[in-house]
Amino acid sequence: MPVLAASGVRKRFGEVVALAGAEFSLGAGEVHALIGANGCGKSTLCKVIAGATAADAGEIRIDGETVRFTGPQDAVASGIGVFYQELSLIARMSVAENIFLGREPLRRDFVDRPRLHAATAAALASFSAALADAIDPEAQVADLTADQRQIVELLKVLTAEPRILILDEATAALDRDQVQTVFRCIRELKARGRSIIFISHRMEEVFDIADRITVMRNGVTVLSTPTAETTREAVVTAMVGAAATARTAHARHRPGEEVALLAEGLAASRLAGVSFVLHRGEILGFGGLHGQGQSEILRALFGMLPMRAGRVSIGGRPYQPKRPLVAMRRSLSYLSGDRSRNGVLAIRPIFENLVLSLLVRDRRLVVARARLERLVAPIVARLKLKFSSYDAPVTELSGGNQQKVVIGRSLAIAPAIMLLDDPTKGIDMQAKEDLYATMDELCAQGMSILLYSSDDMELLNVADRILVFNAGQVVAELAGENRTEYALYHAAYATGGALADA
Amino acid sequence: MQSLVTLLKRPLAVALLAILVLLAAGELLSPGFASWRQIVSMVTIAGLLGVVAAGQNLVILSGHEGIDLSVGGIVSFGAFLAGNLMQQTDARILPAVLAVMVITFAIGLANGLGVTVLRVPPLVMTLGMFGVVKGGLVLLTRGIPSGRAAPLLQAAVIRPLLLGLPGIVFIWAALGLALTLMLRRTTFGLSLYAIGTNERTAAVAGVPVLRTRALAFGLSGLLAGLTGILLLGYTGNVFIGAGDGYALPSVIAVVIGGTSLAGGAGSYVGTMAGAVFLVVLQSILTTLSIPEFGRQVIYGLTLLALMLIYGRQRRLRG
Amino acid sequence: MPDTARPARPRRGRLLTQRHPYLLTILVFVLLCGINTALQPTFLLPSVAVSNLSSFLPMTLVAIGQTYVILGADIDLSIGTIVSLVNVIAATIIDSMGGSPLSIVLGLTAGLAAGLLAGLLNGVCVALLRFQPIVTTFATGVVFAGLALWVLPQAGGQVPPAFYEAYAGGVLGIPTVVWVLLGGIGFGLLVRRLRFYHALRATGGNIQAAYQTGLPVARVRITAYVIAGFFAAVAGLVLVGETASGDPLVGASLTMSSICAVVLGGTALSGCVGSFAGSILGAFVLGLINNVIFFAQMPFEWQGLVQGLIILAALSGGVMMARGRADRT
Repeated sequence: MPVLAASGVRKRFGEVVALAGAEFSLGAGEVHALIGANGCGKSTLCKVIAGATAADAGEIRIDGETVRFTGPQDAVASGIGVFYQELSLIARMSVAENIFLGREPLRRDFVDRPRLHAATAAALASFSAALADAIDPEAQVADLTADQRQIVELLKVLTAEPRILILDEATAALDRDQVQTVFRCIRELKARGRSIIFISHRMEEVFDIADRITVMRNGVTVLSTPTAETTREAVVTAMVGAAATARTAHARHRPGEEVALLAEGLAASRLAGVSFVLHRGEILGFGGLHGQGQSEILRALFGMLPMRAGRVSIGGRPYQPKRPLVAMRRSLSYLSGDRSRNGVLAIRPIFENLVLSLLVRDRRLVVARARLERLVAPIVARLKLKFSSYDAPVTELSGGNQQKVVIGRSLAIAPAIMLLDDPTKGIDMQAKEDLYATMDELCAQGMSILLYSSDDMELLNVADRILVFNAGQVVAELAGENRTEYALYHAAYATGGALADA
Repeated sequence: MQSLVTLLKRPLAVALLAILVLLAAGELLSPGFASWRQIVSMVTIAGLLGVVAAGQNLVILSGHEGIDLSVGGIVSFGAFLAGNLMQQTDARILPAVLAVMVITFAIGLANGLGVTVLRVPPLVMTLGMFGVVKGGLVLLTRGIPSGRAAPLLQAAVIRPLLLGLPGIVFIWAALGLALTLMLRRTTFGLSLYAIGTNERTAAVAGVPVLRTRALAFGLSGLLAGLTGILLLGYTGNVFIGAGDGYALPSVIAVVIGGTSLAGGAGSYVGTMAGAVFLVVLQSILTTLSIPEFGRQVIYGLTLLALMLIYGRQRRLRG
Repeated sequence: MPDTARPARPRRGRLLTQRHPYLLTILVFVLLCGINTALQPTFLLPSVAVSNLSSFLPMTLVAIGQTYVILGADIDLSIGTIVSLVNVIAATIIDSMGGSPLSIVLGLTAGLAAGLLAGLLNGVCVALLRFQPIVTTFATGVVFAGLALWVLPQAGGQVPPAFYEAYAGGVLGIPTVVWVLLGGIGFGLLVRRLRFYHALRATGGNIQAAYQTGLPVARVRITAYVIAGFFAAVAGLVLVGETASGDPLVGASLTMSSICAVVLGGTALSGCVGSFAGSILGAFVLGLINNVIFFAQMPFEWQGLVQGLIILAALSGGVMMARGRADRT
């Protein structure tokens, strides 16, 4: 009998259908990978299992008995432990307090702080070999690095010794040694009969650790198979749908020789000193493992991060990126795929979302509705954006279309240079294709683009040249024939304890 | 029918409905309650609250837990300053009004700078500023209220102009129009909504977040000062602490009118209705000659009942 | 997007002020004691100290209660009126029953019960019904104020001499007010070691994360409001002993003072950061500022402004103390 079984689970958030009858079955002592493209519903399904989200329909059975969770506390009581992708840590509390939150060791009804500290130290010890700096149990979580926080969240889940463990992108910020340590923990749990649901977008890890693989697409389960009986291609095909069509190389203008932007010795936050040239009509890609400074350059150029050192010139004239408004007035535009931070203004109408940057940049006092609608109409058409009316709230649109509104806002100021910071994260294939097509058109008309993408294939297909980043520096430049996966990974993983070459 | 239900869910509709219900109930319980003269009187008083609430509305819209608890002190301050500068001389009205508006704007701006530059939470900053303003007022008056309104000001505020409605009602209506236009049709208004909705997105879109927020606080101070001038016109002279009762009711009026305390959503028209509602509620309670304690209890319970409609926050469970 | 690198070991100084954000307040407190002594040489005498403590005590108790609510990222604007309500209930019962020992017991019990119930009402509205805390506790505050007026429309009533003499006196050579303060401190020290306290801080720090961890966040928030009601009740009873009568307006200014004291003590209005010890110090600092202004014999008209400016400066300082890096969860 499966330890956990989910059947017919449905959930919608307003207009968006997250789950449309999902099925999932977890055996005892099994590591079961749950994968799928962004937006396929895997995170939502896990939130339903964990009691954090209420399903509209469907059934969850544990050990054959139907359960009705009223909240996470019920799931915890049933022995379910979850590592949340967004982390469930309290920033202003210590590592020890976070790891044992709700389960603090007691001595006669009072929290036993010495034991709390000791237990935390012991738990951290299992990771000490894989950590550059040891984590102090009394350190505040807010002061930790991203990988350290991920380890703390992991320990929080692991020390609770749940029967069913859900790991949602638990390895995202970890390097190779840390990932292996996590896998060791998982295997130990398996040996003791616990069951694990493993969500990851890293195929190598999935095939390394999982006994079974379930693939979801558009809110339903499309494939469920033992790992040994399947291949990477089969899995990817299931994820994407129709056999992934080879991307046609879009006919486009060859980038000119004219320099649109020149950066010399840029240093900001963890960037060491980066220099590059962006030509007119070119798409210059930033690649490498994520978190190597690519996003920081884009944000520094847009005035969102202070620049420690370096010089930038646009069109030959020096440029000081003090703040976004200054950047916009020099014809730069910024777009991020992180919709919660740099997305739409959710409760405002579509019209306001589209024209905001334009109004601010031009220092317009009054909103001249008719004139602005005329300005914005061609952009709306180009982006193939459909909506009921300009005054409709932007939330009536799907995720992909909301992203188009954000793009529209950037395009409205007719920028000469666009800074794209992982723009296609979490949007569907069709919207992605639309965006690539738009990018090609715009470059053909002379716009230049700096593109950072965490999707290596996207980068290889779209960019004219790729700068590979590693530890805040550019370590390689790939152009022409050199734009291959091998070259990219080789440069990205060349130094440091990273994943092996593809 | 469906559209009627959705209409009723809009805060403005609820507020207006509630006002009508109260008027009807008042008329039943005490005939003459809903007479035109009484309504005019209530709208006049609501106007005073409404102007203060306008400033509060801007601050709350700006997000970041925006609230202005100093408005009560600024109202008193504005009234006192205007009275002393005017000293019953018509010719001095204009300079007095200008001076008050500049100074109270500066006080509001000080709040804004504390909130944006020093990053003091608005509740704390405006609370502290309230103490400072009150202390300053005591210093300037030496505890003795002084200053009298110029006759023209009094006439402008309380003399019936049209349909028995005094000037203040028209001033309030004009302010309402101006504020609504500003919120909907100016870049500043859109920027204000933007920073209240999602500060980071607004920043990326180029909106000058800190400047916009500071300006909202400045305007709140200015509007509180304006209320002080109108209050002076209404009562003729002013006592210290006259404005104290305006702060929290102005917040309630804003919330009833549909502006979320989280910022980013709401309109001034709703706030105007909220102000009228609060005044009508107070009037009913006074008319029914319920003793003071009963009035307070009913007032509080009514607010709690309204919270059922307006003030509920998001569930934790998705 | 993962964040930029930060040291795993924070600088020593920062760790200290983070774990005990009221260290700066202690400094200010000591400074104020010094100024007080300079202005009023008798300041350090035990009898004067106790007298000062007596007048600071209600505000201190309310500040302690408010701390728990604020740690949970809520606020209680009704706490002052709970003090008034409990005050008049106790005084009225004692007075109407002739001041017998039974009446005293009844009065105190009824007062405490009223405070707990008031806190419960606040907690239920905010945590279960999910009403917005500021407007809601303002509304309940108005209701409590009204109820207080109903119980005792005008200050008055009489409390037997045995009662207020016992309050003014002491037990085992230690004044009653000191015992009450010690009781408050003891309570704080005890609660700090409960699982509840961790849960409260977590709820204030990141309610979504706390909820996902399986913590009973609604129950935790309600408990915080009940604690506030409890301390408000004790303050109300203390005031009965202090003034030997009841007064429906006695607590009017205590709400805002409690918020000032809490902020002065280094507790963050955003929750999670702070402690009851800081709030006690904050209340003392607030009281001492008033003393200094009084004894400095500043002209009466300057007092309000100077006090306001000092408090504004101190509040800004308190905020800076409580501030750390922004939450990055």
